[in-house]
Amino acid sequence: MKIAKPLLILIVLAAAVLLPIVTEAYFISIAITILTFMTLALSWDMMLRTGQLSFGTAGFFGLGGYTGIIAAADFGVDPVIGIMLGGLVAGGIALILGMAILRLRGLYFAITTMALASVFMVIIRNLHRLTGGPSGKIVYNTLFNYDSNKVYWFMLAIAVGTVVISELFQRTRIHFAIDSIRADETVAKSHGVNIYKYLIFVFVVTSIIQGVIGATYALQYGFVYPESSFSPHYLLLPIAMALVGGIYSTIGPILGAIILGLSSEYLKLIMPYGHLVIYGVIIVVVVLFMPDGVYGAIKAFFMNRKRRLEER
Amino acid sequence: MESISFWKKYKNILFLILLIVAVAIWKPHAAIYGLQRGSLYALAGLPLSLTLGIVGIMNLSHGDFLSLGIYIVYMFSVNTGMDPLVSILPVFILLFLLGAGVYKLTITKVLKAGHLNQLLLTFGISMILLEVMNLIWTSRPRSVYVDYASSSVTVAGVRFGTYEFLYVVFAIAVLIGLQLFLKKTRLGQASFAVGQNPRGAKIVGINTSFVYLIVFGISVAILGIAAGVMVPRFAIFPSVGSSYTMKSFCLVAMAGLGNLTGILISGIALGVGEAIVQSIPGYAGWSDIVFFGVLIAVIMIRSIRRPSL
Repeated sequence: MKIAKPLLILIVLAAAVLLPIVTEAYFISIAITILTFMTLALSWDMMLRTGQLSFGTAGFFGLGGYTGIIAAADFGVDPVIGIMLGGLVAGGIALILGMAILRLRGLYFAITTMALASVFMVIIRNLHRLTGGPSGKIVYNTLFNYDSNKVYWFMLAIAVGTVVISELFQRTRIHFAIDSIRADETVAKSHGVNIYKYLIFVFVVTSIIQGVIGATYALQYGFVYPESSFSPHYLLLPIAMALVGGIYSTIGPILGAIILGLSSEYLKLIMPYGHLVIYGVIIVVVVLFMPDGVYGAIKAFFMNRKRRLEER
Repeated sequence: MESISFWKKYKNILFLILLIVAVAIWKPHAAIYGLQRGSLYALAGLPLSLTLGIVGIMNLSHGDFLSLGIYIVYMFSVNTGMDPLVSILPVFILLFLLGAGVYKLTITKVLKAGHLNQLLLTFGISMILLEVMNLIWTSRPRSVYVDYASSSVTVAGVRFGTYEFLYVVFAIAVLIGLQLFLKKTRLGQASFAVGQNPRGAKIVGINTSFVYLIVFGISVAILGIAAGVMVPRFAIFPSVGSSYTMKSFCLVAMAGLGNLTGILISGIALGVGEAIVQSIPGYAGWSDIVFFGVLIAVIMIRSIRRPSL
């Protein structure tokens, strides 16, 4: 068992890296989309683990996208540098805002992040000279010049990086702080956990991830547009994916992104408009009936079996 | 003593009237337009204050119920030729049943589950409503024409629409109706008690789950009134009401829980503020930021005053 787990991870990783060799372009584009949403879902879940529900995912995603495009179009930097700048700007803004809004809790934090995402969009739509206003902005030097295999490997690297960060949050000392804040803030505080510091740290890290993903997504197509860069899809889908897979874990959002990502491609074919309704239904059903998601259900199944075996 | 309490009670209203008069002298259009728009915001915000104050649920699908109401009014108008204002009555009943049904099927199960599940659930409901409307009616904008909606008058060289004053009338009517309901009827008094102290209300024998059901139903139903008055003047598309969720929450945050009159006052104040920004040439696009800016500012100020918000 001890060797099986790293081996499994290696096999999955190798399969993911070699994917472009065995499949055609259509599947690679699906895989890129799945990786994008997987990373967003993971970053959303990482914030949720502190007990704070953020609705700002789409906001930082859009900010990153705009930063990347502006850097590439107006300052002529390489798209990869633009992506790094996207992460930096998203992280910097998250740091400044986080210092204020992370004093809020629960409902008020959630609503404020939702409002902030809208504020970002209004500001960007009105800074005509810098952002192109409501009509958006395009750039000609896209990421790797539309070479989808390279984009895929790049996305995979970001996704793997996010998984590693998420696992670090789960395994190192910081996870005691994060879990204790979620479980009981007062107890955490009285045990000397600097809640505020950890919340800001997690908020900034997740925002950097969202900014990087936003910039990558924008630069691979070479355009941004307020309504699509800040689209609620980048909020709705990651939440649905994390919920389906199972929140408060690394493997949950990954599983959820793969399940929903693949099924959404199929749904798009049979139901071109309004297939998003399925995501809404999924959120409602999971919240009501399956609060631990698929991963939680699998885990519970094995736990039950183990217990039954032990009883015997 | 008498005069002090009188001053305290009507201080906000007096300030509001002064504000509107001042703006009316400076920018008459902004004052009238803001008064009309602001009343509409208040009309949509009042029911959210009820659900937040009494049921204790932040309903993120608030605005989408409004859109749904608007589409139902539209369907009445297309299929039966019913006047939008007349169709308020059937839409009120339909939305009440729908709201009560949604409450019974979903929300009642997360009442004790903590804010995270409640927010996620209503967010999911919001997405379902939005996408179902997209599926049924597509995103093509529609409209209902009634001849009286475009009437206007000119007073002292300022031309403005008269139909929109109906928003003011309806907002005040709904406000008074809700106050009477909460103070005078048995059910209303019970709701008031549940809002103040659910456990205490339960102990004295109030059927809290029934009160929640009715209050949630009425809140959704009131959106039907807003829908009825909005239809003649608004382009109808699936996300027409979406922004009202945040706007309503902003009003509730400004007024404080349980302060219904405050909703109307803050609604009009923000409506006027929005109209002023809109009237500045070249900066009209920034007007959307008024609500969000005020919302964030209000939440931040409250959190500083009371750190355990």
